[in-house]
Amino acid sequence: MREIVTIQVGELANFVGSHFWNFQDELLGLASDPESDPIFRNNNLNMDVLYRSGETQQGVSTYTPRLLSINFKGSLGSMSSHGTLYNQGSSSRSDSSKTWFGDVDTQRSEPRKRNLFQQTLYEEEAQAEIEDKDIVGSLEETVECWTDFSKSHYRPQTLYELNGLWMDSQDFNNYGAGKDLFSEASRGEEICDKLRFFVEECDHIQGVNFLVDDSGGFSPLAGDFLETMADDYTNVPVLLYSLRSPVAQKKTVINKLHDAVSFSRLSSFCKLFTPIGLPSLRGMKYLNLGDEKPYRSSAVYAAALHSSTLPFRMQHTSSDSTQESNAMDVNTLVQLLTNRGRQNIVAILDSAMPAPTLAAKQLEKTLLTNLQALTPEVAEDVEDNQSVESMCILGALRSEDQEATVSEVRNAVDASYDEQSRPLFCNLSVSRVPLPVPLPFPSIFGNLVGRRGEILSSPASDLMCRGSLDVHSVPVATRWRSSSAVLPFLESRMVNLEKLGIQWGAVGSDVVRTWGFGREELQEMRENLAKMVSELSPHQFLESSDSD
Amino acid sequence: RRKALNLFFVDSDLSSSKMSVRVLNPNAEVLNKTAALHMTINAAKGLQDVLKSNLGPKGTIKMLVGGSGDIKLTKDGNTLLKEMQIQNPTAIMIARTAVAQDDISGDGTTSTVIFIGELMKQSERCIDEGMHPRVLVDGFEIAKRATLQFLDTFKTPVVMGDEPDKEILKMVARTTLRTKLYEGLADQLTDIVVNSVLCIRKPEEPIDLFMVEIMHMRHKFDVDTRLVEGLVLDHGSRHPDMKRRAENCHILTCNVSLEYEKSEINAGFFYSNAEQREAMVTAERRSVDERVKKIIELKNKVCAGNDNSFVIINQKGIDPPSLDLLAREGIIALRRAKRRNMERLVLACGGEAVNSVDDLTPDSLGWAGLVYEHVLGEEKYTFVEQVKNPHSCTILIKGPNDHTIAQIKDAVRDGLRSVKNTLEDECVVLGAGAFEVAARQHLINEVKKTVKGRAQLGVEAFANALLVVPKTLAENAGLDTQDVIISLTSEHDKGNVVGVSLVDGEPIDPQLAGIFDNYSVKRQLINSGPVIASQLLLVDEVIRAGRNMRKPT
Repeated sequence: MREIVTIQVGELANFVGSHFWNFQDELLGLASDPESDPIFRNNNLNMDVLYRSGETQQGVSTYTPRLLSINFKGSLGSMSSHGTLYNQGSSSRSDSSKTWFGDVDTQRSEPRKRNLFQQTLYEEEAQAEIEDKDIVGSLEETVECWTDFSKSHYRPQTLYELNGLWMDSQDFNNYGAGKDLFSEASRGEEICDKLRFFVEECDHIQGVNFLVDDSGGFSPLAGDFLETMADDYTNVPVLLYSLRSPVAQKKTVINKLHDAVSFSRLSSFCKLFTPIGLPSLRGMKYLNLGDEKPYRSSAVYAAALHSSTLPFRMQHTSSDSTQESNAMDVNTLVQLLTNRGRQNIVAILDSAMPAPTLAAKQLEKTLLTNLQALTPEVAEDVEDNQSVESMCILGALRSEDQEATVSEVRNAVDASYDEQSRPLFCNLSVSRVPLPVPLPFPSIFGNLVGRRGEILSSPASDLMCRGSLDVHSVPVATRWRSSSAVLPFLESRMVNLEKLGIQWGAVGSDVVRTWGFGREELQEMRENLAKMVSELSPHQFLESSDSD
Repeated sequence: RRKALNLFFVDSDLSSSKMSVRVLNPNAEVLNKTAALHMTINAAKGLQDVLKSNLGPKGTIKMLVGGSGDIKLTKDGNTLLKEMQIQNPTAIMIARTAVAQDDISGDGTTSTVIFIGELMKQSERCIDEGMHPRVLVDGFEIAKRATLQFLDTFKTPVVMGDEPDKEILKMVARTTLRTKLYEGLADQLTDIVVNSVLCIRKPEEPIDLFMVEIMHMRHKFDVDTRLVEGLVLDHGSRHPDMKRRAENCHILTCNVSLEYEKSEINAGFFYSNAEQREAMVTAERRSVDERVKKIIELKNKVCAGNDNSFVIINQKGIDPPSLDLLAREGIIALRRAKRRNMERLVLACGGEAVNSVDDLTPDSLGWAGLVYEHVLGEEKYTFVEQVKNPHSCTILIKGPNDHTIAQIKDAVRDGLRSVKNTLEDECVVLGAGAFEVAARQHLINEVKKTVKGRAQLGVEAFANALLVVPKTLAENAGLDTQDVIISLTSEHDKGNVVGVSLVDGEPIDPQLAGIFDNYSVKRQLINSGPVIASQLLLVDEVIRAGRNMRKPT
């Protein structure tokens, strides 16, 4: 068994994570439900990779994510900081537990009301009259915290809140704001202890999925945490996802410097760095997304995360089964993308949700043309014959109402590559299990999306947005790309660091100093960025042949 | 006049335009001098009000019930501040100073907050009478220096040689603990705390409190908290056949990976057939097995001809095949131990931490008379006990629920710091408010005369602010503060150094009552309080851009 530990740092990371765990929870439910589609019942996925079994002190057995979530104090909303399973009995304050015989001054915060969805989770059958329609509606209106729409159970070790911050979240928007967070007040030690709980019980950990909203003060926290992890778990590969919400992307001097510094620092502690977060999500095909609500935008990212990491959980079988093909472990993916020819650790993530049906060729709806980059600052239409790709396709449909077989998917991908230039190398993983759409999934599908995620030729209803009540599952395709198309992303960071932070008289030189970076550190960062850029630059090949 | 300080609370996105734009931002709100000062003073008083009732052995405990029903119980100013959502910039400055006080000296958070609050209150009176803050600040500076000098003459030296005076250590620890826990529990913990610091103390070396492990179990009652001479780890072996209890154990502390890892070079290699893959895996596996075998060899060497046991505590991972091999040899193995436990284990059991199997010798092994596992639900604990001459130990905190445990933990940390401080300061200060009253009388009767002009009033304000400690102690005990202060000051004027008894409000001799505070805590408090108060007093203007200061929400 090759376990994965997931870490979510920051607001958006936890929103994405919440959706991600909802998908897993849905898959678990469907797998054990005798009435569900056989595809879900025999999904051939090893959920133990992400989950651990345990039991509470009362002897109730539990199955919970191997997850560490770090966020602001108060960000858990109506959920207890001990999670949802392990706090029975702790709230009753018996006399034997009194540690002080003097006066008690009780300060009670206004209780956080559970929304309709949470009420149904806690009260089980008691309120059967609450209709799904109302729940979906209320979620769209009321979601504030990631816990509001989460249906998964969490352990006490999973949740970590940063207290004593004394700052508004809008002031927490740059590297300096979180500079000493990890080292202060033994926070680092507490965080590492929580992580150790999960890693210790792993027999053979394959890697860490590290989701971080690094647009502000969580970046230095994540950097320090990763640095400690690199010491403690030297050979455990870290896949880092840098997540940005659309609204967080205004570009002031501070933002630009922050992005450069944050990228430099975080990328030095991971094996694969995947930036996710478009300036606007309005252009996503077949989806109806605004940019304001993290509840909605995070759902798209979560689906891509689920799909791209699914090969890590496929059962290793000697020959390709009919259910899925090409299981991979984290290390194999890392070596594939970063170590074939060019040393590039920054990957582009593309996604198509819903993925088009294989038969629908007439409108150029091939799989490849439907993939849209979720990574910002990526060049389009780049001819890069050195690029390396790893694609994962879940639950593809042959036609509107038929699932495609694994080999059909393979052939279709092959065929669509005939129309485009082929990458140097492409790995394809296929699973027949589509993405299940859980009840608390936001209504983000456009009205051309059918019940099984098929693309309809005419609108299914007048409503512009379809959600979990109308769409039960969707096929998803994602692709990791190591390509020179990521150059604009790297170059802007390199240029900004030089121009705003290093150059003589640079506007931001004082700022980066208060963030704790000396001149030499900055220059080293710039050199590393330059190295990354030159590795991918098309000219680099020519130069080296000149010198020969 | 000297340049006054401005406090800028500016939205931190520095646009590419120049700095001056920020100041001229039409949306910026500017509060003038008087308004700024009053806002600052009110914030300081507000924070003082929140924390005041915590102080001393008669203070109230605060029970915080969060929005989701989470309970937190605390009497510790430091913990309380961190639980609070503080928005006011002045309050944040004070809170940061107070938390820093705790980081540096281990206690005195509440005192810092109420002292700063009181300095501001006293200043307000003077400023309302037309005094310029600058003059007050000058007075504070004089008074601060005089108070620090006085502290050095007032302190009670204690000799801390090879055999430290355990009684005085206990008295200091008890004074701290009794402000955090009920007497019975405080007294029980006093011995635990003192003994654990003496255990880790080494001659000629600074005391590293991290060598006292603080472990907790949600189990039984607070009074079951105990000192374990040795180490308690929060994990157990991961193999069903390994013994759960062993006596006479050789302990191998190591940082050696005992799990199969694909090496970097081969990982990207795509095997062309199953046999090739198999061969690669076998080769990789062999090198891990070699390492395990070397450990087994050492075990056979030291355990030959006796029935001693062998325990491995590894910082790196141990995978199931390695565990199998070890279990077959009767070895107990723990993986992924905390990094700090590597150091603690060596100090507790002897031997040395080994980083490579090539360094294995019998000398690198430590010793423990007893190693056993304790299981609580899904949680496992491993006790390493009966060690020889330990320099590391564990305080095992027990309690029926998380908030009890958290509170005991806070108290134990403070207790440990107070003992460490005493050993390092080699002196203590009489408590129960005795020092504050003495210092106040010294400032009023001696120092004030030597100061020229209106700065005298600053000295006086400072002196009166010191009284906030005995006043608050008395107030929290339900006593009449006026009476208490009058009787204390008159005793001091007679030359009797007394503090306040919180039982009846009468003067007592802290020496006889065994109430002692840390010298370094007091010193830090007197140093930092006036610095922050002065900064706040010299705020001329408060400018804030970006957000409206008086948010309607």
